[in-house]
Amino acid sequence: MDKPTDLNESQWKAVNHEGSHLLITAGPGTGKTHTLTRRIAHVIPSLKSNENILAITFTNKAARQMKERLTSLGVRQSLLFIGTFHGFCLKLLRDYFEHTALPKDFKVVTPQEITGFDKDILDRISHMKSTQLVISPDNDFKEYQRYLRKNSWIDFDDILREALLLLEDENIASQLRRQYRYIFVDEYQDTNIVQHAILKILGCEGVLLTAIGDANQSIYGFRGSRVELFHRFKEDFVPAQILTLQENYRSAPSLLAASGQVMGGVQLLAKLSTQGKLVIHQAATDRAEADYVAQQIEKLMGGLDMNTSRRAKHGFGDIACLYRLNTQSHLLSKALEYLGIPYQIAHKAQKLEVYSDENVLGQNEEELEFNVEKVSLMSLHAAKGLEFPVVFIIGCEDHLLPLDLTGMKSSAEEERRLFYVGMTRAKEYLYLTHAKRRQIFGQSLIQAPSPYLADIAEELKAYEALKRNPPKKDPDALQMKLF
Amino acid sequence: MKFIADLHIHSKYSRATAKNLDLENLYLWAQYKGIHVVGTGDFVHPKWFKELEEKLEPAEEGLFKLKEKLAQPIDAKIPQSCKGQVRFLLTVEISNIYKRHEKVRKVHNLIYASSLKAAQKIQAKLGSIGNISSDGRPILGLDSYDLLKIMLEADAKNLFVPAHIWTPWFSALGSMGGFDSMEDAFGDLTKHIFAVETGLSSDPPMNWRLKQLDDFILISNSDAHSPAKLGREANIFDTEFSYDGIYKALSDKNDKGLVSTLEFFPEEGKYHYDGHRNCQVRWHPKETIKNKGICSGCGKPVTVGVMARVEALADRNESSKSQRWRPYQNIVPLPEMIAEAKNMGTASKAVQEAYMSILSQLGNEFYILLDCPLDDIKRAAGDVLAEGISRMRQGKVQIAAGYDGEFGTIKIFESGEREHIEKQLALF
Repeated sequence: MDKPTDLNESQWKAVNHEGSHLLITAGPGTGKTHTLTRRIAHVIPSLKSNENILAITFTNKAARQMKERLTSLGVRQSLLFIGTFHGFCLKLLRDYFEHTALPKDFKVVTPQEITGFDKDILDRISHMKSTQLVISPDNDFKEYQRYLRKNSWIDFDDILREALLLLEDENIASQLRRQYRYIFVDEYQDTNIVQHAILKILGCEGVLLTAIGDANQSIYGFRGSRVELFHRFKEDFVPAQILTLQENYRSAPSLLAASGQVMGGVQLLAKLSTQGKLVIHQAATDRAEADYVAQQIEKLMGGLDMNTSRRAKHGFGDIACLYRLNTQSHLLSKALEYLGIPYQIAHKAQKLEVYSDENVLGQNEEELEFNVEKVSLMSLHAAKGLEFPVVFIIGCEDHLLPLDLTGMKSSAEEERRLFYVGMTRAKEYLYLTHAKRRQIFGQSLIQAPSPYLADIAEELKAYEALKRNPPKKDPDALQMKLF
Repeated sequence: MKFIADLHIHSKYSRATAKNLDLENLYLWAQYKGIHVVGTGDFVHPKWFKELEEKLEPAEEGLFKLKEKLAQPIDAKIPQSCKGQVRFLLTVEISNIYKRHEKVRKVHNLIYASSLKAAQKIQAKLGSIGNISSDGRPILGLDSYDLLKIMLEADAKNLFVPAHIWTPWFSALGSMGGFDSMEDAFGDLTKHIFAVETGLSSDPPMNWRLKQLDDFILISNSDAHSPAKLGREANIFDTEFSYDGIYKALSDKNDKGLVSTLEFFPEEGKYHYDGHRNCQVRWHPKETIKNKGICSGCGKPVTVGVMARVEALADRNESSKSQRWRPYQNIVPLPEMIAEAKNMGTASKAVQEAYMSILSQLGNEFYILLDCPLDDIKRAAGDVLAEGISRMRQGKVQIAAGYDGEFGTIKIFESGEREHIEKQLALF
């Protein structure tokens, strides 16, 4: 079979690969989803009757997009299960309900419905459930589980753990292995050990696993993701082949170079020749930083009122503002509101997306009747998998990026990866802004620029100051005074 | 009944508007100007909507009036000569900014609501998809097509009017932010649009040159950002004094309810010619073509104005008339006329005082500009103003055309001419 024109050599190699497990290392913008969907479509003809494909995505949104892409490639939906780990495991619990120890009327509980437990305790329990295969329960844990059981609830973490328990029944496991001859896992770098154990059970005895991801984009360690599983793929799944996609189709070469420098010399091949622009802006305060962002957006939009117009290349939907902590969105939304710029804050919806199964999601998802363009505000975590022509990362300051505030500290490597994920969302314009003084959680902090900024070569950076427009004399207003 | 309507204005809740742009001042200034139906503007804005609910009460079908107790103290200030009936009609302008076919479109659209209930429905819908509280003319990342759909779903008797359709940056047919045809912008819903607003920089004959505008009736409004700018352009109706009367006059092709329009001299509008304000480059479209559209000041493309844009899209010659054409009269606002007669600034105290004095002697501004016998004007305001108004009525004015956001400037008298007129008359 000849290489189709819409795949490059290494993508085609990955699509066409046969005879072993496969790990595809795919950096940002290298056509990860494209390659994965093409590979799924490619193996479909080799399925025997009653055989299916299991494809695991990181979010429900990604699952929907993959379904759409496969449908347009002519793949019948009946041959596929596409969903998140949580979605798939919940399906197992329902399909094999009589083999579980769950109450008959069990219901998946959302975090909002849980009352009477401190957030700290819930976080600790959740962390235990996603990082330990065998848990030695303490009193809090026992009490929490009793609470769930009393209400016939299971939480999101339990969906996975109960499914793993189910799969320890070898009959069920082998039945599933016969059914799902191919398993595909997207964003493999963010797999936790429970998910990994599930894959180990299903991905053997002739079942072929294809995992795709990028170790440099592993950012969910705080939730139990284990990037070392990515590096251990060859030992876990035998025999396995590792292929790498290196050609980037997303970002302007200069932006790609800059993100590579931050990630310690990662070198992807720039396939676009777009003119990129990386702007560093230092503001006096977090408030001034927000004003700068809002003004730049107005400028990029070619002006929003009659007197400031220029040609616009970008729509509101082309622009994203990313930040380390959700609390940083407050000043930004105020500044955007002041200029009348439409925006949406995405982190809440995204969180639900990641965890919830289709049913839970169905209740929360608003049917979008119209496509309304808005500037996206979201955490760096929520930006995973997305791309925008214009990206602002605000708060590029030490102690925020990397995060190191009282009671909030994350691994240095993961913070760097998070910043890398943010930078690599940008296609043409990347603004990295920082403030000298910032109010955060009631404290006024004097901030130094993020150390990551120094990793970017000077010739790639443009420093921009805030231009203060003198207030325009309004002839109408003048006339009004006189009349 | 014959009446004058200005159906595109803003409230104090819109950006860059006067702080006193409230219902009381609209009521006052509508009478100074001689306007009988004035748009409320901004009805989608929650605070303004609340004011409308509190201060207005239903009058004729679909029209509202200022409550008696609010109107009374104002009535006391209005010269007897200017007193008239003022009604409000629910209007709003939306700034639709969205990408279509990989191009950013910025289109301003007017919505006229048939009732408070219909207005409320539109407000609720738009509030659910965007921010309607920071600007009386809200910016929504919503396709104009979808806005029209929302409006029709709220009530089929609402009216949709693409605003100042030639403005380069913010209009349906604008050179920079618009489309090449109404069909491109509104698709299969175009048939639900009956009227388009010509804007200050174009006059009816310019619009008549486009076959694609044949089905629309042309209307003219002030787009006022302060009470004093009311009625810069307006519409003269002779029909039932109600929303229905206006609706029928605009929507029914056989209805003759819209009699004529009052127009700015288009050259006086901000975007008649091409150019760059900052580079002080003001070009007739022919000069633009000669310079290949590139500004001689900064080397970037000039802002292409309305005249050139009409020329580019026109498919009929200059003497054509559209099927729904109406007569029109060019006007220059009275304060500008007085300023020109006195050779002083429009904003000067003397001009302001003269304006009020003339109004109280003769009647409202439209009466003075359009109908008042010249002899009466002479007696009240002197020969020069009477001569000026006479010339204005005949279209005998010189205008340095507006460009790239800069208003054009009107000249009615040559230097020395004023003195000459006065002297000449002194002989008689």
